[in-house]
Amino acid sequence: MACTVGAARRFGGGALGRTAAAYVAGVALGSVSAFAVVGVVATTLHPGRAWLVAAAAIALAAAAADALGLRVRPQVPLQVPEGWRRTFPLPIAVFLYGLVLGPGVATYVPAMAAWALIVLSLGLGSLAPALVIGLFLAAGKALPVVGMALSGRPAAETELLAERPGLLRGARMAAAVLLAFGAAAALAGPARSDVIARPAEDPSVAGTDLAWQQPGIGGFLVRRGAAPAPLPGNDPAIGGSHIAWHDGGEIVVADRTTLAPVVQETVAGVQKLAVGDRWLAYRQGFANGSTRLVVQSLDDLSRTRKAASARPPAQVGRPSLSGDLLVYHVAQGRSSWISSLDLSTGRRRRPRSASDHQLLNPSSRSGQLLYVDVTRCAQQLRLGRLTPGHDRVLFSLPPLAGQDAGRERGHTQQGSRVPCRGRPRPTRTMLWTTALTSRYAYVTTLRRDASGAVTPSLVRLTLPQ
Amino acid sequence: MREPALSDAVVARSTRRGFLSRVGRLLLAVSGGSVVAAAVRSQRAEAFHFCGHIYTTGSCPHPTGLPRIDARGYPLRAADGKPVDDLGRPVSAAGLPIGPDGHVLRDADGNPLPPAPRTKVCVAAARRFGFRAHTDGAWYRCCGGHVRKLVDCCGYVRRRINGDAALTGYCYAGRNVFCVQYYDTKVRC
Repeated sequence: MACTVGAARRFGGGALGRTAAAYVAGVALGSVSAFAVVGVVATTLHPGRAWLVAAAAIALAAAAADALGLRVRPQVPLQVPEGWRRTFPLPIAVFLYGLVLGPGVATYVPAMAAWALIVLSLGLGSLAPALVIGLFLAAGKALPVVGMALSGRPAAETELLAERPGLLRGARMAAAVLLAFGAAAALAGPARSDVIARPAEDPSVAGTDLAWQQPGIGGFLVRRGAAPAPLPGNDPAIGGSHIAWHDGGEIVVADRTTLAPVVQETVAGVQKLAVGDRWLAYRQGFANGSTRLVVQSLDDLSRTRKAASARPPAQVGRPSLSGDLLVYHVAQGRSSWISSLDLSTGRRRRPRSASDHQLLNPSSRSGQLLYVDVTRCAQQLRLGRLTPGHDRVLFSLPPLAGQDAGRERGHTQQGSRVPCRGRPRPTRTMLWTTALTSRYAYVTTLRRDASGAVTPSLVRLTLPQ
Repeated sequence: MREPALSDAVVARSTRRGFLSRVGRLLLAVSGGSVVAAAVRSQRAEAFHFCGHIYTTGSCPHPTGLPRIDARGYPLRAADGKPVDDLGRPVSAAGLPIGPDGHVLRDADGNPLPPAPRTKVCVAAARRFGFRAHTDGAWYRCCGGHVRKLVDCCGYVRRRINGDAALTGYCYAGRNVFCVQYYDTKVRC
């Protein structure tokens, strides 16, 4: 192909540049179009985590085959129509050649990586990564050809490929390494997210059951494979063998399977609930803006304990129970932190705290902590161990506020400073309450429209296994 | 940051930059008259990143960019002077996040969103870069028709936020300037 593109040199007057540009455009269009189709298919199919793992496994196998120099299978015994070179003007001919060569699998396939990229794009289940893969593939296919054509030695292509097989071998090895990195990155990448209910907020999970609140309507419960069923109250919480809701100030704790009430009581100002086999926790809000978190033993409701309280503008967050462990956040004007309280021992801990960002709405399960971390430059749903350490970012949104240029108009940049690199566009969507199972992380997003109205959505993320 | 008085004049005369500046202005004055020379003077005054700043120390880290503060050192949004929290959101007097209409932002249940930390700009810089913050002296300039107070964020530091050697500026007791911030007064000028 370098010879064909380089043949334009003899026409002079910039013909070589135009021909090379036409080839690059053809390759880019062919590659991006093909991978766009793959991306659209992937988006439509929306494959699950298992498909991604399978795709990554295939990609790793292809990488191994390329690294070992194995014969490429399946092979395509075709080549570009040679006659186009004679029947079309050269720029149009090379543009068409580029279209054919762009996808990487319409003619002779030089490496297993070409097939693996398609499989990996399907497994990723999204259009954007497929387009990125297409763009990089196009660059990889176009740049060497254009480079050789512009170098004045287009015949070197034939020499290099025919007389130095080590070159193709090296290229396959490089492709194998990059493909292996790509497959690993795909597996380790952000969790897959799905909006499962809207408007819906405050998820609560136990086993395969999921409960949430629809603002202004009430609570809903979803059992495995069933449609959402309305509950006779608000702000439902499930945990262990119990489910709880409240109707005004009346709290009902019921059997999770039969929904038969087990405990009922009246509490003023109850807002949010958490329940387990042995404990009930609720947040109260008072007219003066103060908030309080109270825990009761379900065996003896008279055993009431104040877990936390806050005066306005500080707030205690929504409680979450996992066995005997209660977790919640406290946010105030100087700092915010996540607290845990072991209800069996009374031991308190502060697993996370922050003095320049905001930690919100934790939930816990089997020693793991899921929470929202709102920093100046991003909002993140983070998963880590209860003990402080490295956390994994499961989901991320842009920051909640914009920034200026860091300098005044008409002044230089010398000494200027902006809080976030790349000037991320702020979002009106805020990460909010969470819930955690062994397979999924749930988070509420609060979308604020221009009029200030808030629409909550419930997002489910598949956890990396 | 030192007012460009005698010391700056001495520095300007004793450096190659100062020499070139004088030669350039002389040539301009000869060829184009005093109007052009005055224009050059005004450009020199604008040679740093915000009005009134006359030396090279960089801005203190600020939630919205330009290091505008209130009288107590808390961050204000430079564009409109509204108080902002450490996340860059406009906040009410109580520290709760507010919307463009000035009303407190609420969650889907109608409860106010929780407050985020709001830290003095110099204190936040000190915390981030590991020194103890001191606000010592200040200097004043006329900017946009109002008196602007330019405030050094000082500490026992050897390097300023730019990464090079820190200067004394308006800091006291052996402290040096780490970064700069400003407070726009309502006093007309």
